[in-house]
This record gives sequence, structure tokens and C-alpha cells, in this order.
Amino acid sequence: MSTNRQYELVYVMTPESSDEQVTELHNQIEQIVQRFNGTIDKTDNWGRRKLAYEIKHHREGIYVVETITGGGDLMKEIDRRLRVLDSVIRHLVVRVDEELRVADRTRDARKATQARRRTARGLPPEPQPGEGRGDGDQDDERGDRMEVQR
Amino acid sequence: MSPQPGGRGRSGGKSSDGDKGRGGDRPRGGFFRRRRVCKFCAEKIDYINYKDARLLTPFLPERGKIQPRRISGTCAMHQRKLQTAIKRARQLALIPYVTD
Repeated sequence: MSTNRQYELVYVMTPESSDEQVTELHNQIEQIVQRFNGTIDKTDNWGRRKLAYEIKHHREGIYVVETITGGGDLMKEIDRRLRVLDSVIRHLVVRVDEELRVADRTRDARKATQARRRTARGLPPEPQPGEGRGDGDQDDERGDRMEVQR
Repeated sequence: MSPQPGGRGRSGGKSSDGDKGRGGDRPRGGFFRRRRVCKFCAEKIDYINYKDARLLTPFLPERGKIQPRRISGTCAMHQRKLQTAIKRARQLALIPYVTD
């Protein structure tokens, strides 16, 4: 059984490529993913977007984001295939499962401390609507925070 | 904090505090530098998403370089995460490497 890791694949296609070409590339990727026993969890087509700088004299690109679960060899194969294609001007593979897990953990930890502090002060664990900032641990910054937040 | 008489440990002198509440220990007449707070801590953003260009652009001055921590006020942990996010976004041409 291959390892299950979550990756994010972002690729940018040339602005000349038609909708059919975009879906065709998506299907190709899907086939590779299936061949390696992975799954595509989510596909997000951003459509045409202006590039921040010129790439091969193109000023815009078609962005597609795919969230894929699978092993490292799968992503290696996809990376290799996208590198060869001329219709893809830029692509990026990022492993996200660990980052998201860390983000979840920090969020849960923050919620837990908040709940603990609030119960210690005899308040309900969740902040009530219309209560304002009820964290209680940033008392000296409260005046300044209002300026920073837009 | 309310200005009580002698509440700051400063006795005597010209203690007619015009600035209540904050900046009591700052030199009078000097300009007030506001205290910088890490944006990601304040807004409780746990995951700095590299695909969100609008989140990252405030940290890129005109030239397109990454703004140092001492100016933006970002905490060390979030500056590190911001750095990787900016570099990823640059690869995807979501934000520029340099702007002239």
C-alpha cells in the first residue's frame, strides 16, 4: 500500500489553450492518478488570470488547482509529465497534509486555552455574540489593536 | 488604566497627564509610534495560504521584496511561514519577484 499524502498541484496553462485542452489535461492527470491508486479530492479552475510577470511572453495564464491524495511516486510522475508539456507554462506541487495538520493543531490549542481561561473566569467556554474581544490576555494592547486592524 | 494620583510610581513633578491610557512612558513631544502587532496572530490566521495573493501583497513594498519583520511587526513564526508562502506564490506568478 502506498503512502497517503495530500498534495496540492497548481498548474498554469497558456492563455491560448481552449477549454477542451484544459479538460483534456485534467483527464490525463486523472488517469495518472488512478494508475497510481491515488484520488483527486478537489479540482478548482480559477480560469484566466493575469500573471505578475511575463512567462515566455505570455501575460496571462489559466490556473488550475488540484488536491490529490497519493504517494510520492505519483507526484513525481505528474511533475515529469507537466515539465514536458509546452501548454503548461508553470506548475507547482506542494505537500500540504502536514502543514494543514499543524494549522489545525494550533487552532485547536488556541480554542482549548481560550475555553480554559474563560471557564476559569466563570464564563461560558465559547465567546458570546456581541461580547467584544473577550480573550483577557491582551489587556495592554487593546487600545493599539484597533488601529492595526483594518 | 485610569490616571490615579501617583499611580505610576512617579511622584511629584509635572504630572498633569494629558495623554491618558497609553504611551505614558514615551517622551512628550516625540511622535507616537504605534505598536505593531503580528497580523496573523491578531486575525488568528493559522495557515498562510500561498494561493491567496491578496493576503500576501501587504507584505510586499513597491519593489516587491519581502518586508522585514521589524517594519511589518509580524512575529517570528508567522514571518517564516509568510516567507515560504511568498516564495511559492512567486513561482506561480501570483505576485512578482521584482517590480521596477
